[in-house]
Amino acid sequence: MEILVLAFFAIGYLVLAGADIGVGMVLPYLGRTPGERREVLAAIAPFFLGNEVWLVAAGGMLAGLFPRLEGELLAGNPGVVVALLLSWVLRDAGLWLRSRLAARAWQTWWDGVIVAGSWGLALSWGSLLSGVIGIAGPPALVPAAVLAALFAAHGLAFAALRLRGTLRHRAAVLSGHSGGTGEGRTFALTAIALAVVGVLTGTRLALEAGSSGSWLTPVILALLPVLVAAQAWVWWTFRHRVTGPSYL
Amino acid sequence: MDTVDLARLQFALTAGAHFSFVALTLGLATLVAVIQTRATIGRSAVHLRMVRFWGQLYVINYAMGIVTGLVMEFQLGLAWRGLTDFAGNAFGSALALETVVAFFVESTFLGLWIFGWDRLNRWAHLALIWVVVLTAYASAYWVLVANGFMQNPVGYRREGGVLHVADVAAMLTNPAATVAFGHVLSASFLLAAFVMAGVSAYHLARRTAEREFFRKSLRLGLGVSLPATFLTATFGGIGFGLLQPGKAAAFNADPARIAQVQAEMTALHGPGDYVPPQGWVSAGGITMLAVFGLLFYLSIAGVLLMLFRRAVYGFRLWHWTLVATIPLPFIAMMGGWIFREMGRQPWAVYGLLTTAEAMSPMTEGQARFSLIAFTAVFAVLVVINYWLLARTARRGPGEVSLGGAPRPTVPERPDPALTF
Repeated sequence: MEILVLAFFAIGYLVLAGADIGVGMVLPYLGRTPGERREVLAAIAPFFLGNEVWLVAAGGMLAGLFPRLEGELLAGNPGVVVALLLSWVLRDAGLWLRSRLAARAWQTWWDGVIVAGSWGLALSWGSLLSGVIGIAGPPALVPAAVLAALFAAHGLAFAALRLRGTLRHRAAVLSGHSGGTGEGRTFALTAIALAVVGVLTGTRLALEAGSSGSWLTPVILALLPVLVAAQAWVWWTFRHRVTGPSYL
Repeated sequence: MDTVDLARLQFALTAGAHFSFVALTLGLATLVAVIQTRATIGRSAVHLRMVRFWGQLYVINYAMGIVTGLVMEFQLGLAWRGLTDFAGNAFGSALALETVVAFFVESTFLGLWIFGWDRLNRWAHLALIWVVVLTAYASAYWVLVANGFMQNPVGYRREGGVLHVADVAAMLTNPAATVAFGHVLSASFLLAAFVMAGVSAYHLARRTAEREFFRKSLRLGLGVSLPATFLTATFGGIGFGLLQPGKAAAFNADPARIAQVQAEMTALHGPGDYVPPQGWVSAGGITMLAVFGLLFYLSIAGVLLMLFRRAVYGFRLWHWTLVATIPLPFIAMMGGWIFREMGRQPWAVYGLLTTAEAMSPMTEGQARFSLIAFTAVFAVLVVINYWLLARTARRGPGEVSLGGAPRPTVPERPDPALTF
């Protein structure tokens, strides 16, 4: 049961936050002017806060249910984890800060930080994946690059579902501009691919639960419907396509 | 510096930065929720503008709280594996519950509050901010349960060389957690109240156009500051009764008691240095108490002066005093935090695991790289955060982007409907 709880949050993170990371990666391709980029960011704006909490929760599950694995995974891959955290911090700082000032140089700088942070996140996840499945040295770049490409594709697919006009047209490059059905199908495909990566990686982890699961797991399971309902409220509120810039 | 010092410095810088942001967030969120309640019930335009202005400052600051908090969560497993291996089964459950009971909902709903400003029913929007406030309190509580366990481990059993939870209720009602929670929460009200009063006083002193707006804000800030000082002092006073012997001895700089603590600890745990760094502990504690005393008098004077409309609009010396006061509650909170955490040394989990034992086996190069990288990034972000807060505060309610509808950057054009 503990494993299912951890997997739920980890895979939720990959599928949901994978989309906003991917959009950040392809931001220069989708948005060619600061105004366009702001509209592209509006596609992920209402979601990214609610998406990254899935990783925070997955980290919490590691701390509470798998304390041994927490140390192994984090302390065992210090370089990658530091890179991942720094990328995450920079990407978020970029998202929060880029539209606080109207100056063009400021916005271009933070757009750059968002793109670099998103790539850093994707590549760090890829490197961590390589570490978990036991590939070291130069060959480790292959899984890292594949996962990064998957994040980017997932981001494009998500952007195609959220944007309009030219921006949507650019994002729909993967679905061959076949319209709504094709866009939905592409997104489902990249989402499933990310979930599969998550499950396969999970099977390589030493998932040996600690001693708190007996009382902690039921508490967490009881809370899950509340968490899912909170998230569903966000998805429902922002189910329509982006019509203009948002706060970000 | 050796590796332990480097890792401690890094965690301290992250945790200290996080604490200073979170303290403002906790207090300011509460004030924003109170104002929004008033705005929603009375459909009051000035209160609605107050929600947007103070909410904007809150959101800017919240973002910094998140990014520092994210790093902290993972730094525990990264740099303090000895702690998570030894005590993870016990205090890790508090951190796990923090994420699902508190932070998950807090962040999800805050996103909805920010981005759903004009899309949601106003009562639903009001409910959102209150959920955000309450889950923020819950978050502080769970983190202090984990921290309280490190200060005063209770409700555990030791088996196979590691700790396990034996009594959940004892962990959740640990006085080192509950009293600290009351203290930190009241202090965060005090902090936000003085920030609100100081920013309002700035605008009143500069005679900006927003007279009524900032008169109301000043009165709210000062009005909250007084009960907050009493609560902070009450919980702080109870906390002083709960200090570990080493912390109390170091704070009082009492050679006899220090020697006694050292002798008792040596008898229990073998040879070692069991006295916390006295300079830090006493400096932290004294700073907290002295600054608090000053804030207490400023709060009383402020509550009296705010009763006179002429003083509120015209007493410029008082205005500028309040502006100069803004950094003080931050300094007091940092002092208190140093007092509490330095006073726990040399223990990570008091009496059970030393800080040196809590560290991950990392090389000095790794510790140094990680320290420099995070410190550089956070230093820049902290400066930008306070600069942006000051700029937004100075420019006033007219230039707030939170809750406003930004002009579309791309002209509207027809688009085929989304069909599945």
